Amino acid sequence: MLAIYKASLILLVGLTLVFVFQGFYPDLIGPFSNAVSPLIAGLAVASSVLPLKKYWHKIGERFSIIWFFFTAGLAFWFLGEAGWAVYTFVLNVEVPYPSIADVFWLIGYIPLFIGFYLYVRIFATALTRKALIVSLAVTIILAFSVSVAVIIPLMGTEPDLITMVVDVAYPLSDLSLFCVSILGLLIFFGGNLGKSWAFINGAIILNTFADVLFSYVTKQGTYYAGHPVDLLFIYAYMFLLLAFHVHVNEL
Amino acid sequence: MSYEDREGLTETENDRFEQAFLEAVDDGLLTLGESGRKAIYFHLQSMCSLRREDIPNKPKEFMEGLRKIFGVGVQVLEKAIGKNLYAKLGLQYAEKKDHDFLACIDDARRMLEQKE
Repeated sequence: MLAIYKASLILLVGLTLVFVFQGFYPDLIGPFSNAVSPLIAGLAVASSVLPLKKYWHKIGERFSIIWFFFTAGLAFWFLGEAGWAVYTFVLNVEVPYPSIADVFWLIGYIPLFIGFYLYVRIFATALTRKALIVSLAVTIILAFSVSVAVIIPLMGTEPDLITMVVDVAYPLSDLSLFCVSILGLLIFFGGNLGKSWAFINGAIILNTFADVLFSYVTKQGTYYAGHPVDLLFIYAYMFLLLAFHVHVNEL
Repeated sequence: MSYEDREGLTETENDRFEQAFLEAVDDGLLTLGESGRKAIYFHLQSMCSLRREDIPNKPKEFMEGLRKIFGVGVQVLEKAIGKNLYAKLGLQYAEKKDHDFLACIDDARRMLEQKE
């Protein structure tokens, strides 16, 4: 178990250093970022296939369905990353946003939400009133921060309706995932599965910040392939990879 | 559960209780489905050296093992197992505040003694 943490830490530090020192190789960081993201997303899908294989029993059984939805969600996110790579490497579109890739990413939220919801619902009765208040408070704080950072500034300023809808859809989708995943963390807090849910929550928070920042920098026209915001998305995939790995090891 | 706790039941009654307990655990863990139940048994054996067959004799170790995996969420499984056990023994299940799983099992045993 410790080996995966060490390997992930080395990978995270290594990738961070590559992004930090991008000034020394400005022409390479774009292709590097566009290639690494689908690779890490692919690893995250693979990490969800292992538990799917372990927990799959038959269609209609709770754990089988839950892990099917997790894998499906991550597979859509991988397709989003792959789509982005195709746009940049094959079609030479510098910043393909919004694009078909966003359709895959946004669709991916649906199975992930269903998976989280079904999982949490099994244990929902373990939630105390205090836990519900904590989750509500944390969600409100995050929702408020996201509204202030993205949604309110975008209102009426974005000339393109599709871009505005996509800009808002991401943080809202992140928030909907967070609403459920925070409950998962509170339910399994103190147990080994709590570690898995902590990584899931970490991934969703990172994704939320990444989506907010991405909307902001694209609106400012300062986004480029290899922008440090890409690193947040990569971190989020790594956290999901760890979450599923921990889960399959702890149960 | 200590050995003393079982003194009130005859050997046959005790066997019946343990069988009902094991079935209640089997059914309660089905909350996660067949694959989830298998995974739990596997982890209890590898993590706590607790085999499925030993659960009726080591309910405390069983609950500690589950708590180690599920944290606060274990309450859902405890309740499901408790309800199943009472139903299998033909007893009336009543949820009591500040009554943990082990106390619930002890109550079931006591009620069974009185019933017999």
